[in-house]
Amino acid sequence: MTNLKRMLLAAALGLPFAGQAMAQTKIEGLHVWTSASEVGALKVITDKLKTMGFEWQDSAVGGANGANAQQALRTRVAAGNPPAVMQFLGFEGLGWAKEGVLRSLNDLYAKNSWKAALPPVMLQFLEQDDSFFSTPINMHRQNWVWANKAVFDKAGIAIPTSWDELIASAEKLKAIGVTPIAMSDESWQIEELFESMLIDVNGPDFYKKAAIDLDETALSSPEMIKTFELLGKVRGLHDAGFTGRDWAAATNLVANGQAGMQIMGDWAKGEFLAKGMKPGVDFLCFPTPTATPNYKFVFDTFGGFKIDNGDIAKGQDAVAEAIMDPEVQKKFNLIKGSIPARLDVPMDDFDDCAKRSFSDRVAAIKDNAIYGSLTDGFAVEPRFSGVFQDVVGKFFVTDMSAEDAVKSLVDGINNAR
Amino acid sequence: MATNAASLATSSTPLATNARSFRRQHRIGRAVIYGSLFFMAAFYLMPLWVMITTSVKHLDEIYAGSFIGLPQQISFDAWRTAWSEACNGTACKGLKPYFINSLLLTIPAVIMSTGIGAINGYVITKWRFPGSNVIFGLLLFGCFLPFQAVILPMAQTLGILGLAGSLPGLVLVHTVYGIAFTTLFFRNYFVSIPDELVRAAKIDGAGFIRIFVSIMLPAALPIIVVSCIWQFTQIWNDYLFGASFTAGENAPITVALNNIVNVSMGRKEYNVDMAAAMIAALPTLFVYVVAGRYFVRGLTAGAVKG
Amino acid sequence: MSRPTPLSNRIEHWLPRLVLAPSLLVVLVAVYLFICWTGWISLSSSMIVPKYDFVGLNQYVRLWSTPRWHTAVFNLFVFSTLFLALTTGLGLLMAILLDQKIRVEGTLRAIFLYPMALSFIVTGTAWKWILNPALGVQKVINELGWTSFVFDWIAQPTFAIYCVVIAAVWQSTGFAMAIFLAGLRGIDNSVIKAAQIEGASLPRIYRTIVVPMLRPAFLSVIVLLSYIAIKSFDLILALTNTGPGSATEMPSTFMYSATFRRDQMGVGAASAMMMLMTVAAIIVPYLYSELKESRDGH
Repeated sequence: MTNLKRMLLAAALGLPFAGQAMAQTKIEGLHVWTSASEVGALKVITDKLKTMGFEWQDSAVGGANGANAQQALRTRVAAGNPPAVMQFLGFEGLGWAKEGVLRSLNDLYAKNSWKAALPPVMLQFLEQDDSFFSTPINMHRQNWVWANKAVFDKAGIAIPTSWDELIASAEKLKAIGVTPIAMSDESWQIEELFESMLIDVNGPDFYKKAAIDLDETALSSPEMIKTFELLGKVRGLHDAGFTGRDWAAATNLVANGQAGMQIMGDWAKGEFLAKGMKPGVDFLCFPTPTATPNYKFVFDTFGGFKIDNGDIAKGQDAVAEAIMDPEVQKKFNLIKGSIPARLDVPMDDFDDCAKRSFSDRVAAIKDNAIYGSLTDGFAVEPRFSGVFQDVVGKFFVTDMSAEDAVKSLVDGINNAR
Repeated sequence: MATNAASLATSSTPLATNARSFRRQHRIGRAVIYGSLFFMAAFYLMPLWVMITTSVKHLDEIYAGSFIGLPQQISFDAWRTAWSEACNGTACKGLKPYFINSLLLTIPAVIMSTGIGAINGYVITKWRFPGSNVIFGLLLFGCFLPFQAVILPMAQTLGILGLAGSLPGLVLVHTVYGIAFTTLFFRNYFVSIPDELVRAAKIDGAGFIRIFVSIMLPAALPIIVVSCIWQFTQIWNDYLFGASFTAGENAPITVALNNIVNVSMGRKEYNVDMAAAMIAALPTLFVYVVAGRYFVRGLTAGAVKG
Repeated sequence: MSRPTPLSNRIEHWLPRLVLAPSLLVVLVAVYLFICWTGWISLSSSMIVPKYDFVGLNQYVRLWSTPRWHTAVFNLFVFSTLFLALTTGLGLLMAILLDQKIRVEGTLRAIFLYPMALSFIVTGTAWKWILNPALGVQKVINELGWTSFVFDWIAQPTFAIYCVVIAAVWQSTGFAMAIFLAGLRGIDNSVIKAAQIEGASLPRIYRTIVVPMLRPAFLSVIVLLSYIAIKSFDLILALTNTGPGSATEMPSTFMYSATFRRDQMGVGAASAMMMLMTVAAIIVPYLYSELKESRDGH
């Protein structure tokens, strides 16, 4: 820690890059967004920033589920050359905040009463030791089913109300020669499916105990075994080409009618919209089936590193203000497919899926049924969520038994503690 | 080097051609040789075929499931997009600026690492002193260092030197980790140059530098080619160091390529990906195809006579 | 005339050492000091940033209790063995065939060499499609009429590593071929002629006379290929991304994800040290024998 501070200090004292950033008050932002819709959405923020007198200097590092960007960030902090602003997902920001290298945004939060404008569940990812260090721009919902309406109609399938029903409907899809579930053998994509089952079948309280508190009794419980058994039933419901498939390619199978449905977060929506398909008419979006309605979230935030330069600090504040601007949040999320992080943004211009997401979020907050997504790093720290990913991924592609899966999950979690 | 060229030109494995049956056997043999070579060539060209055809296909065609096979319609839009329009984050200038970065980075790094390797090889073979072999051993072990392990300490070092996030910093890193291999190349090559030559020059009064410049370097052309090709390929294709030690506008082409190809959430434009990959590979392809002849010649001339 | 050595002579004496000194210094820092640093981190509790405390061998225990690490070690063994054997064998075969006065040698040589020039970030994608049973070779052959043909190794956790071998062999054989070709060109033709006159068949000549003469080429090939095998990283990420179900994990990818993705810097450092020790155990004896030989030789 002290080492880091010393490095940052050394960096601030007369090394070239500090001056470089000062020239036109460019604010460098390191992020993982590289696709057209992501970049389009980011431009909403950077355009706003421009009107505030700051130029966004873009450092995109995509790929490897964010590992490349994390690596770039780590090397840059080690070199005493951190970016002014960094995109954080899940626990990433908290880790750096604990090291004391992120700037506090408490004044801005207090002045603009941002805390009240955000869902309370978000705050734990924005605040460390009573200090707010980042601002959220959006909220994705993780537990969605995306279905091709024409295919569902042809097979005579209604929207399923339980996982058993959903798996049973697969037979009808097979009967009309359609791949029931579009997916990939990438571990994280399988985990999206698994974590939905985990909360849907066992209820939000169990999800909290197992996936967030990492309670050993919950992790080794029969409920856990049951969940793996349920996941095992999906093994035969995908096509042979699922190996190494991108999630977007899987979404396209659904859009083309080659597959019936996909279980994926609402970043998948853009694929349907890009083809001119309309929600409710051409494709269906509905939450993964459950008797205990719940909401699983993923969101993007930006935080600033402590850099001994007044102009950069002002720029970091400007980024935070731009992100929290209701108009920016609206425009950003219309492009990105998510919903605004703020609870007070009018949803009139959004599509039906987004509206559903918004109203479900309000209900889930009231019912205490809103939790962070395990796959996308909002449930537990990466060293634990990685274990879930390893075990779930391996379970699905091999003939591992549910009991063995639970055992290696418990062992793996304990080994990482 | 005339002897090498000559041996290359006249190289052959003469076959018995006396008897008629031999001639027939010969013809079958030739057919087998050509057959297997062409079969292997087809196998080797397969990925290139996939890449080229994909790069000229329309995206909808690819998403409709045509990954391998002839394009229905040929379009070079993807190539143009990749070169000048594709987005790396919010900067939509295509690969062009990063291509230039990579040139600015690779050329000095190749020259420096090759130059240092040449001098090191010269000292280690012709000016041996107690411990020089140990030093060579120490250098050589550096070849096998897994680079993932040195990223963080290297970042700290660059920070101390004030080179963090800059192209000169990256040039330095590539030069440092290139020395091991270039030294190996030159050492193995110079070993085969007779010591008597150097001894005679010393008696004639030539010094350390003169012998290097007027005797060793002129003889080293083939191995210089080998070393440059190897270093050029390694540095041009490096992603790990590029992503670690540069940022934003300073990034080399592999980092930009990765950003174009590795779209995390969103539609993958496979045709642009492939076109971008081909563009990123053009300099190395050029080096291999054009300099390939010299490459083999250089290796012949002594690099493999370890 | 027993005057002290003139200045110029003393410079001549020290110059070689002076010239070598910067390289030595740089390597001592950038290789050996960094290895020490990694060793230190592997004994600390470092997670997201380096911490300089001491927790004994905890991280090593944790490392060896991780099933994925076992997979990685096993894969490195399988991959290196097959990769070295196939690349060397195929490279030698290509070189021998190309050495038979082939008319289009230049073109063929370029075809065999070009994969080395391409970055795996994208050739990985091409290979991914070729190996994918629903898109690539299997599909094409099925459509040609052989409907029962199955080639789905990449989807099989136990076979996926062999797909990585195929792609890696494809990439590096050309390089091995070039070195062997160079070695063949360096062999005196009269040896072969003499053997032919004695009536030896061509394959026999190669087996008993030519190949043994290529020993230095073999050594160079093996050093360069080991280097490539140990560093295989882009290849794995692009082709399988360590899947299916971590079945193609390698030490380099393990180290990367532990350090940069899972906030387990200590475990990552421990895995780096294990890798280094393995490499040292193989390379140091080789270096020692090589250098000893060359000293004897001169």
